[in-house]
Amino acid sequence: AELSDHGGLDLLFCHPLPVVVPTATQAEQPHPHAGGGAGGPGGGPGGQGQQLAVLEYLLGLNHVETEELSAGEEHLSQCVSLLQEHRLSRQTVSVYTEAENQLGILWAGLGEIEKAQKYLEDAEALYNQYMREIGTAPYDPQEHFMAEEEMLSEQERHKRFEKVATQTLYYLAQVYKHLDMDEKAARYCHTTLQRQLETRDYNPVEWTINAATLSQYYISKELYMEARLCLAGATVIFEELGDVSLESAAEELAGEDAVHLHEQNLHDWLGQKKSDISRCWIKYCLFLLQDSRKLLEDDIAELDPERQDELRAQQAREEEEKERGRKKAVQFGSSETFDSILSAEEKVTCLYPVDFQSARQVFLFGQSHVLESKKFFQLDGHTRDHVEVVQDHSALFKALAFFEEDHERRCKMHKRRVDMLEAVHKELNPQYYLLVCRQLQFEIADAYYQMMMLKVTIANGLEDLDQRNIKKINHLAHAAISSYQLFLDSLRDADKQFPSELESDVLRPALFAKFRMGYLHNKIITAEPRGQLENTQNSLDCYSFVVDYCQSHEEAIAAVEMELELCTEMTGLLAARVKQLRAKLLAEP
Amino acid sequence: PSPQPPSAEGDSIKVYVRVRPPVKGTALFNDGDQGQCLSVISSNAVRLNSKPEPKIFTYDHVADIHTTQESVFSVVAKGIIESCMNGYNGTIFAYGQTGSGKTFTMLGPSDDSDNFTHNLRGVIPRSFEYLFYLISREKEKAGDGKDFLCKCSFIEIYNEQIYDLLDPASSGLFLRENIKTGVFVEGVIERVVTSAAEAYQVLSMGWRNRSVASTSMNRESSRSHAVFTVTIESKEKISNLFNIRTSQLNLVDLAGSERQRDTRAEGVRLKEASSINRSLSCLGNVIMGLIDVASGKNRHICYRDSKLTFLLRDSLGGNAKTYIIANVHPGSRCFGETLSTLQFARRAKLIKNKATVNEATQGSLG
Repeated sequence: AELSDHGGLDLLFCHPLPVVVPTATQAEQPHPHAGGGAGGPGGGPGGQGQQLAVLEYLLGLNHVETEELSAGEEHLSQCVSLLQEHRLSRQTVSVYTEAENQLGILWAGLGEIEKAQKYLEDAEALYNQYMREIGTAPYDPQEHFMAEEEMLSEQERHKRFEKVATQTLYYLAQVYKHLDMDEKAARYCHTTLQRQLETRDYNPVEWTINAATLSQYYISKELYMEARLCLAGATVIFEELGDVSLESAAEELAGEDAVHLHEQNLHDWLGQKKSDISRCWIKYCLFLLQDSRKLLEDDIAELDPERQDELRAQQAREEEEKERGRKKAVQFGSSETFDSILSAEEKVTCLYPVDFQSARQVFLFGQSHVLESKKFFQLDGHTRDHVEVVQDHSALFKALAFFEEDHERRCKMHKRRVDMLEAVHKELNPQYYLLVCRQLQFEIADAYYQMMMLKVTIANGLEDLDQRNIKKINHLAHAAISSYQLFLDSLRDADKQFPSELESDVLRPALFAKFRMGYLHNKIITAEPRGQLENTQNSLDCYSFVVDYCQSHEEAIAAVEMELELCTEMTGLLAARVKQLRAKLLAEP
Repeated sequence: PSPQPPSAEGDSIKVYVRVRPPVKGTALFNDGDQGQCLSVISSNAVRLNSKPEPKIFTYDHVADIHTTQESVFSVVAKGIIESCMNGYNGTIFAYGQTGSGKTFTMLGPSDDSDNFTHNLRGVIPRSFEYLFYLISREKEKAGDGKDFLCKCSFIEIYNEQIYDLLDPASSGLFLRENIKTGVFVEGVIERVVTSAAEAYQVLSMGWRNRSVASTSMNRESSRSHAVFTVTIESKEKISNLFNIRTSQLNLVDLAGSERQRDTRAEGVRLKEASSINRSLSCLGNVIMGLIDVASGKNRHICYRDSKLTFLLRDSLGGNAKTYIIANVHPGSRCFGETLSTLQFARRAKLIKNKATVNEATQGSLG
């Protein structure tokens, strides 16, 4: 309209107008353009009243975008109230929903999150009701001002309406998060992803990463079926991306962290995303094994056959209900991708492994993703990521070892851990990777400790302890001790002094290291009295350190309560033993 | 694995708050009768006149409007440069809203930014002088036995892209990690410098490129972070062995804090779907938030660190000495930004690297 066209301007400025809201029959007219001049007053779908409502919506939007929130609220509310009676009309359901979405955003911005929630939940309900009762593709708000020949196809209308509904869910996910309704927020995130997939309306890499991230939420809630679904979805969508050419991928990828990517950078970037998905799979396998262990272990952290039988029986029962269970799960529907997602799922179980065979399957699947993610996260170039993958690999071995009944083979698994961890530890410069080094030292010490414990168990089953076994046990004990010592030395200050007060983040590890060292020194086998005295004294010193530290720093007690109890007990015993050994030594010629 | 022993001492971040003098006659900062919203009450505390109760904030050091550039330098930078000479990494950040005095503190008067002999020159030029003074003193002491090599690089992070300010044609550089020397920018230009004067030249060249880019490429310097890095390598010959130490000094001019609003800082505001790109880019953040509050399991987060935090990993709670200079404007119109800067600075004191020894928290008693 020309500026001089006062008719049009009046519509804009004379607000609120005593509008005659179109009647329902008008609103439901099957074809909007029957006879009327395209775009002119009265020509749009449903006529002037609806155009006015759309204008209110657009004006509101304009005000909101220029931070004129109260004016924006007024116009958007006006739009909603104008259309209240026609919210289910094919002509206006879309603009009504969009106005409610906008009101949701607006009120959330003003800190009135419950108000936002009300609008958005209303929009969600409206969508559901419309699809149930009417279902034909509604008009897009833009169409109210389009010439007839520009009007959208049914397909395009449908697409746009679905998109508006997806956005409602996306905003609701945020609202529920803000209201600390985490479970609901997660469900809405999931549904948003699902709808994006069904309508094929997504940025593939962004979708992939979101789905993989959601799997990590499910893992922490021990919902492995859902976690696996997300990861299978991520894998499939990512693989589909491989089919399109790089240039078109580049256009697709203009997400938050991919602006102006050159081709080489694009390869690099995609490689990283692929490895990220692999790392989510690794965590899936790792926690599935670890959570299963928690269900199966007895008081001394060994596999409990009774619990094993129980879990087996329980899984058999669930197997019968499988069909029902599957239908209950939230699925990523789209028919083309569904089959591929299903077959991606079948590569690994989502049930807790009950025995070594099933645990090994999970382990091997996890290990294949370790290899995959290392392709991109190389030690030199992506140091920290690489080390984290190696640590997870070590943790996979540790988790698998629990299911292994043969002690010698179990010991070999821990040896594998030592080898892979030491290989990276020796390469790192602690000036830049201090915290990483500390973690590695601690884990290496733990692996040696586990090996020593296994050797002791094996030796206990033997008739007599031969020299070879003794040597082995002592070697492992010393190796564990020196790795713990490396960790403790890393806490020293520039003048090589051990801190008199431990920082809170290293408090428990440091005291725990001392506790383990106390135990290890005491396990060293020697027949020679002088050596016995020395070992016992070392052990006593370590235990005393923990006791003394907790005496002078009461806040430390809570961090090592159980260990402290044992340390206190041991200091008493060992002090007596040191005395005894001294006396024995003196008595000898 | 390395010649340089790590240190746990002095890892925590120190915070220096500097209050700039109010500017008369400018629209934004002229408060008329309303006066000022904060006052310095001691050398380590400020009082913010919030309602109903005033708030007291304490830091490692608080400097009032009469503080000299020399005094800022000697409190903040001297110690850091000395430890850089001993093989530790050091970082100095300037943080605060646009107009609060970040550039003045770091470089000096902005209309005079090429002139580094000026009495009002800032922390960066003074750091160069002190660094090369220490180097020449060391060399004198050790004679031929000790050699130093200093290299400078200067980058800008804008919109999560890394630009090399010493190479105006560059774009989109990558961050990598070297197993021996930590985080680095792949392909960044490094200029060898042998004196403070040469370092100034590199700095002012980069600074000029930054302002050129801001006009020709539409980059806003108030929305970008500038990181000037000096790598110091010393080679000492002891009998027939060379003892090599390297360390890094990072001098960082952060984007104006008013530009840093992330979704969290914006309160409950919902992130909208962007119509182009089919992007619901906030969804990932929502999910991440869900994972944060879940159990203590160590999951994999696919969302990468921001480029700045990745680059400065070693400075934020790592094995390094770090000082944050929080610049604030005392005018009461700036109350909101000043409060958020003061809160940021207090949070910064608590930054600790989350990566601690995992195993011990679930260690069994065996």
